[in-house]
Amino acid sequence: MHKHLHEIRDPIHVFVRLDSDERKVLDSHPFQRLRHIHQLALTSLIYPAATHKRFEHSLGVMELAGRVFDVVTHPDNLTDAIRRSFPEIAQQQQLEYWRRAVRMASLCHDMGHLPFSHAAEKELLPEGWDHEKLTRQIVHSSEMCAIWRTITPPLRPEDVEKLAVGPRKARDLQFSPWEAILSEIIVGDAFGVDRMDYLLRDSHHLGVAYGRFDHFRLIDTLRILPSSNEEGAPPALGVEEGGLKSAEALLLGRYYMYSQVYFHPVRRIYDIHLMDFLKAWLPGGKFPTSVEEHLMRTDNEVNAAILQATLDDTQKGHDPARRITRHEHFKLLYQRSPEDVRINPEAGLAVHEACKRKFGLENVRRDHYSQPREATRFPVLLRDDKVASSEDVSDVLRSLPLVSIDFIPINPSLLKDAKGWLMKERTDIITPSQVETA
Amino acid sequence: MNRLQKAAVLTQLAEALRSRGSWCGETHLQKAVYFLQCFLGVPLGVEYLLYKHGPYSFDLTEMLTSLRADYLLEKQFKAGGYGPSLSPTQASAELRQRHPHTLAKYGKQIEFIAQSLGSKGVTDLEKLATAFYVTRELGKEAPLGLRAERLNQLKPHISIDMASQAIEELDHLMIQASDYVMATEKA
Repeated sequence: MHKHLHEIRDPIHVFVRLDSDERKVLDSHPFQRLRHIHQLALTSLIYPAATHKRFEHSLGVMELAGRVFDVVTHPDNLTDAIRRSFPEIAQQQQLEYWRRAVRMASLCHDMGHLPFSHAAEKELLPEGWDHEKLTRQIVHSSEMCAIWRTITPPLRPEDVEKLAVGPRKARDLQFSPWEAILSEIIVGDAFGVDRMDYLLRDSHHLGVAYGRFDHFRLIDTLRILPSSNEEGAPPALGVEEGGLKSAEALLLGRYYMYSQVYFHPVRRIYDIHLMDFLKAWLPGGKFPTSVEEHLMRTDNEVNAAILQATLDDTQKGHDPARRITRHEHFKLLYQRSPEDVRINPEAGLAVHEACKRKFGLENVRRDHYSQPREATRFPVLLRDDKVASSEDVSDVLRSLPLVSIDFIPINPSLLKDAKGWLMKERTDIITPSQVETA
Repeated sequence: MNRLQKAAVLTQLAEALRSRGSWCGETHLQKAVYFLQCFLGVPLGVEYLLYKHGPYSFDLTEMLTSLRADYLLEKQFKAGGYGPSLSPTQASAELRQRHPHTLAKYGKQIEFIAQSLGSKGVTDLEKLATAFYVTRELGKEAPLGLRAERLNQLKPHISIDMASQAIEELDHLMIQASDYVMATEKA
C-alpha cells in the first residue's frame, strides 16, 4: 500500500511525522542540501558533538509548528474576541490550508542559509542580501513552485514566503493580523518554534543543559491573545498563566545559551577565521545569490577547500585555514565591561583602534554584537480571564539581562605582550568620546 | 548622523517626552520618532512599516535595545500594566553634553514633538501616527473623508468618526509644526 504518512526518528521529538506532500519538500534539492549545512558552523571544534545539521532542525521546526498551530486554533483555547478577529479559524478548509502553509514554511525557513549557517553572512553576501532573502527566492523557484502547484488546494508561494521569514525580513510585503500571528509561530522572538527547536537541539548535541525547558507544557499553554485589555488591542502569541514558568525557562535558557555557548569567545573567533578564509577563497569575496549557484554550495566544498589551503601556503586563505585546522586561533585580549561602556559606549572600538595602531591590522580583530530585540513582553491570560503583560507578572522576565559582547582577539604570538601593554595603556585608551566640533 | 549622535538625539527625545508627562514606553518612542523623522525630517535612518500598533520600526527597536545594552537607557516599571518606561541614564546625560551641535541642530524639532505628543497615551498615538501614515500614502491634499476611510480600513477598531478626528488633529499639527519651526528659526 502507498504510504501517506511518514515517520522520521528524531532525538528531540522522538518522531517527526509528515505527509506525502511534505515529503515532496523533504526530497527537494533545496531541502536535501540542508543535510550538508552545520547548524552551528565550526562549534564542533570546541564542543565536538555539535555536528548536527539544518536538515533535522528544519524537520523539528515543522513538527513543533504543527503542534503549536493545533493548540492555538483549538476551539477550547479561543476567546470570543479572537474568534471574531480571525474568521479563518471557523472555516475548516481555510484552517487546513493555513496549517499546511505553516508546516511547509517551517520546512523552508532555513533554505537560504549559506555554508556554515550564520557565520559572517553580512560580509559574505552583496549589499541588501541575507539568508532570509535567499529563502524567499528559493520558495519562489521553479522547483518549489512545481511542488506548491501539485498540492490540493495549491499553496500560494507568497504565503509560504511570508510565514517563513516574518514581517521583519519581508518589509516589502503587507501582513494581515492572521499572517502576522502565523509567522510568529515560526520566527517570533518569544515563542517562535525555530528558537524552541534550536535551543533544545543545540543543548542536546553540545552536551549542555542551559537550553532545556519544558516545551510540552509551554506549547500546551500557548494562546492567541489580545496584546492588552484595551479595546482593539492587536492579537499576539501569549501564554496562559499556568505556562508562565515554562516561558520564563525558555527565555532564561536562551539567555544562558547565548552568553555561555553561542558567544563563547573561541567559537566566535573561529567564525572570524572562517570569514577571513571565505573572503579570500570566494570569487570577489562574496557568495553568489542566484538560486542555482546557492544550492551548489555546502559546508562540504568549503571544508575541502580549507583542508587544501592548509597544506599549501601559496593558496588563497592559507593563513586562516591553518588557524582553523591546526587550532592556532586568535586569543581574547579584551572584552567589554559595564564600567568601560559607561565611560565610553564605544570602548571596544577605542581598544580596537589602539591595538591596530600598535600591533598591525592583520594581527587584531574586533567582534561586537548587541542583542537586537528582547522577547520578555507578551500577553499572559490570567486565571480571572484578564490579560496582563508578562513583565507585570514575572519578576524573572523584568530582570533578564541583555546579551552584548565586544571582543578584541589578537594573534596568539602577541598575546603576552599585548596584555602587558593594554594593562598599562587602558585608562588612556578608554576615555569619554570627544566633544563634537561644528 | 553617526551612532553616538543618534543616541544623543534619542535620549534627548526620551528626556523631553518624560518632562512633558509622557510615560515614555517603547510605543511612545516609536510614534514620537516616526513624527520626528518623517514629519520633521530628523535623519535617524530607521525604516517604518505599518504593523500591529500602526507605524512601527524594527530598526528603532534594535536601536533602543542597543542603547539599553550600552547603559544609556534603562527600563523602569510601575504597577498598573503600563509596561516598562525607558529612562535616560546619567551616562546618556554625559553623552549628550558631548554632542552640543547635534542637539542644537535638532533641539527645536525634539521640543516640538515632546510638546505635541508628550501628554498622549498609546491609543491616541496609534491613531495619530496611523493618520499620518495614511496622509503620507494618499497625499496631504487628499480629502479628509478619504483618509479617514483608509485609516478605518487599516485599523477597523478605529471608527470613521474617530479616524476623522485623528486626521483633523494631524492636519492641525502639520500647520503648527511649520509655524513652530519658522518661529524658532527667526528667534
